[in-house]
Amino acid sequence: MEQPKVGVFLSDCGKQLSDILDFDALTNFVKNVPNVALIARGSEFWRGNGLKAIVDAIKGGKINRVVVAESLPKLSEVNIAQAVSDAGLNSYLVEVIDLKDHCAWPHRSAPAEATEKAKAMLLSAIERAKLLEPIEKLEFPTLKSALIIGGGIAGMQTAVDLADLGFEVNLIEKAPFLGGLAARAGRFFPTDDCAICIQSPSSDVKTITHTSRKCVYRSGFSEIPNLSILTNAEVVSVEGVPGNYKVTIEKKPRYVDADKCVVCGKCAEVCPVETPDEYNANLNNRKAIYLNVPTVHPQIYAIDEDACKFQECAKCVAVCPTNAIDLGQQTEQVTLNVGSIVVATGFKEFDSSNIKEYHYDEYPDVITNLELARMIDGFGPTGGKIIRPSDGKPAKKIVFVQCAGSRDRRYNPYCSSICCMISLKNASLVKEANPDAEISICYIDIRTTGREHEYYYERARDMGIKFVKGRPTEIYNDEEKGKLIVDVEDALLKRFLDLEADLVVLAAAMVPAEGTAELAEILGLDLEADGFFKEYNAKLRPTETKKRGIYLCGGATFPKDAPTASLHAHSAAMKAAKFLTSGKIVKDQRTAIINEDYCGDCEFCPVMCPYGAITLEPTTEDHFVAKVNEILCEGCGVCVGTCPLNAIELRHSRPNQMSAQMNALLSVNGTSKPLVLAFCCQECGHTAVDSSGMAKMEYPANVRIIKVPCAGIVRVNQILEAYKAGAQAVMIVGCKTDGCHYEVGSAKAEKKMDMAKILLKEYGIEPERLEMFKMVFIEGAQFAEAAKMMTERAAKLGTLKLMGDS
Amino acid sequence: MPHHNTKENANMSFSEEVTHRHGGETLTACYQCGTCASSCPVARLDARFNPREIIKLSLLGEKQEILTGDAIWLCTSCFNCQERCPQDVEIADVIYALRNIALEAGNSPNIYADFASALIADGRIVAISKFVEKKREEYGLPPLKAVHVEALNTILSATGFTKPEKKEASQ
Ligand SMILES: Cc1cc2nc3c(=O)[nH]c(=O)nc-3n(C[C@H](O)[C@H](O)[C@H](O)COP(=O)(O)OP(=O)(O)OC[C@H]3O[C@@H](n4cnc5c(N)ncnc54)[C@H](O)[C@@H]3O)c2cc1C
Ligand code: SF4
Ligand code: SF4
Ligand code: SF4
Ligand code: SF4
Repeated sequence: MEQPKVGVFLSDCGKQLSDILDFDALTNFVKNVPNVALIARGSEFWRGNGLKAIVDAIKGGKINRVVVAESLPKLSEVNIAQAVSDAGLNSYLVEVIDLKDHCAWPHRSAPAEATEKAKAMLLSAIERAKLLEPIEKLEFPTLKSALIIGGGIAGMQTAVDLADLGFEVNLIEKAPFLGGLAARAGRFFPTDDCAICIQSPSSDVKTITHTSRKCVYRSGFSEIPNLSILTNAEVVSVEGVPGNYKVTIEKKPRYVDADKCVVCGKCAEVCPVETPDEYNANLNNRKAIYLNVPTVHPQIYAIDEDACKFQECAKCVAVCPTNAIDLGQQTEQVTLNVGSIVVATGFKEFDSSNIKEYHYDEYPDVITNLELARMIDGFGPTGGKIIRPSDGKPAKKIVFVQCAGSRDRRYNPYCSSICCMISLKNASLVKEANPDAEISICYIDIRTTGREHEYYYERARDMGIKFVKGRPTEIYNDEEKGKLIVDVEDALLKRFLDLEADLVVLAAAMVPAEGTAELAEILGLDLEADGFFKEYNAKLRPTETKKRGIYLCGGATFPKDAPTASLHAHSAAMKAAKFLTSGKIVKDQRTAIINEDYCGDCEFCPVMCPYGAITLEPTTEDHFVAKVNEILCEGCGVCVGTCPLNAIELRHSRPNQMSAQMNALLSVNGTSKPLVLAFCCQECGHTAVDSSGMAKMEYPANVRIIKVPCAGIVRVNQILEAYKAGAQAVMIVGCKTDGCHYEVGSAKAEKKMDMAKILLKEYGIEPERLEMFKMVFIEGAQFAEAAKMMTERAAKLGTLKLMGDS
Repeated sequence: MPHHNTKENANMSFSEEVTHRHGGETLTACYQCGTCASSCPVARLDARFNPREIIKLSLLGEKQEILTGDAIWLCTSCFNCQERCPQDVEIADVIYALRNIALEAGNSPNIYADFASALIADGRIVAISKFVEKKREEYGLPPLKAVHVEALNTILSATGFTKPEKKEASQ
């Protein structure tokens, strides 16, 4: 390789820095460093003439490595990288340091000491620059297709968006019919219109205005040419990489040919089987061949295999005018190759029989909101009548019990967030249709936080619905009276009420859909403690997951109402489209490399990698070797910090580069205080250092900063190396555990440092000389404090004596 | 000798005083749903007592009202409330913690002094009556064993158990 010729561009940031630092001394110092081919001074190098000077020097062949000392390098780095690359030099052959926020400002009361630190920082940047290697761009082709798992309103709306954008879309639904909860909920707040209504696809030729919103069955949803819908289908395995997922789906038979069924219903008329209708919360029976309700989608009958008597009966086959029924259909395995996957599996009601005091499984007249919704629905089992399931008589006295299984540490500690609104809506609908109904709602808090939501509460009070602030302790069956008794304290009156009820409606908690954990396992996704799918970053990157190309939407991440689920669905569609649209993934090869000769197939790195980027592959002998998948590797370096045999290196953060930096940073002290080396992760940790400088908080100049990709990359031998190079104390500064940019890097580093302290003792080094800190940008003050504290600690401990020192 | 884990701190709020004490730890989780109150057999019968209210008064720091009133002594320790509290507040145990605080402050119903005297003297809070012995026999239960009063007293003094002072009849 060509000899490194380093250009050093020293900005005084409009004299801000030269007022504090001795720039002549810095220039003289740099001049004598080997391989420095050019030194330029100016007031800024990240734009204008300053940047042009860098470009000219590269184009003129004077330099092939660039070191820039600027303020605010976070902003300027991007400009510089682009200009350098345009000038024909690889943008990774550049090292930018911040002499303002990391040196001049935080040490401005001790200018001489600050100048010495600036020398160390410049030397470190130059030594690193000499060892830098070009980093190439990697490109991986992606398929322009997507799989959506779950055909509720969220999944359907994502499907419409992506299909409208021209992608090949596959929607799979495990039930025989689409719609999810919306198909069962009847009417929806906040619009009070039908729940099952979606945006029309643009492929609908009649969609002439953008106001189009339609019942699913006439929306043209199943006619979208680039959308294929598989019902009765579930994912059984996923292989491959982002952009190229191979998904295996098990499709159970419907036993009715979609192309032949004319929805005449003759089959259901002759079917002799009566089985509880789970769609209607088992409030009625249905036949073994059925449609949920007349308006379901797809408009094709389906056979319930658990109920059908098949050849023993076959009456439907005989009667079908189009020969649509085929009792011999078999389960099929379908393989799909897709670029992206969107999970839209929704949620379900908590099993209220867990709450023993409410006797849900014992008393038929204790029901849930979803069951009540089926009664309210004119298509439902009671034709819209509100009855007591125990005897079919009209229910006059109705008591709602809020937070049934939610906000309860015994079951689900969280607030399910939509059940207050569901009860207010359902209570009002019942009262509207049955003005004589006596309705009470027992609540702990009423939560109506969205637009129009408080109106539902207001309206319910206007209608004469009573509110009792109290959570019932028990529901009894008073056989004499033939009523249920809801035992509750009205906490505002401090009075005990035994509310009589014909019907008790539990506002059951909302919990993850059946099979959520299994699907997460198949897709390699994480779950939150509550069992819902975990979003990549709850604040900034909802709908994303830690895996590129896999997105989440709707109730799969947490219970939500339809407006929020829709918003989420459109957002997931946008993310998927953004990922798929260029047909390729482009990324820098800032990835891990395994030295296969050293790899001892210990299986640490595959387990520790937060992105599943490492697998153990068999070699010719009876031996495995770790391999990095470059699409998946995000370049955190956690594997590097994990490997006990030092067999892994990270491009752009190689150990020799880091050693050169450490030695340089610790080569000049210039203060009377002990040198402290701080390994700061390039994300939150490094920005905390920035913010202490930006806010002009002071800490001593003996504290030296080395930037690493993630706290998880730091190895114990590098800490020992730092002590050897002169550090009297070492700080590791990473992100907060939950805010770690690489998921687990910070947490892993913390554990490792605990172990490292034990090891240090063995080496005769006081463990107090090592400390891990977790900070965010706004915690500059904490960084300055930590820096002072570690300096004082090291001073108190006295000069470190390493084994072998005399 | 301190025989509880109270943090001796004059600045501590009353609710902290309770949460720092064995049994009182879960006090602050309460969100006033009233499940405990409607579970409580005593609250139904005696308007002076309501477990939800005791929790609220403790949270609000109404120390005098709690320590000098009758309410905390009315709980029967049936644990109905504690079984059902959705926030896992250990209500009956909180009430024990409050009783201990009251006792140390010299506020306890006289019957507790009688219990204590009996315990120290005979090793039992309630003396075994002929009636009880007969009933046990009827049910086929073995007679109650004698208590090793001396050993019990060693334990009592080692754990700092002292007899609460009896108050004047007017109180
Ligand atoms: C009783 C009740 C009343 C409601 N009332 C209102 C209201 O008035 N207003 C309002 O805004 N919101 C209301 N909601 C909430 C609303 O129903 C949801 O916001 C909405 O249905 C969420 O849609 P989704 O597509 O995310 O999930 P879902 O509707 O749950 O759909 C998920 C779909 O995925 C399928 N699925 C699950 N797992 C798999 C798998 N592994 N493979 C394939 N398919 C799978 C399911 O079968 C289902 O069809 C109510 C909810 C309930 C329970
Ligand atoms: S939304 Fe209302 S009923 Fe549902 S858990 Fe929250 S507070 Fe309870
Ligand atoms: S650098 Fe990070 S993402 Fe890449 S293989 Fe190592 S642990 Fe995995
Ligand atoms: S049951 Fe628990 S949360 Fe509810 S009022 Fe009683 S102590 Fe508080
Ligand atoms: S333990 Fe005490 S407060 Fe709780 S229910 Fe029983 S008597 Fe009432």
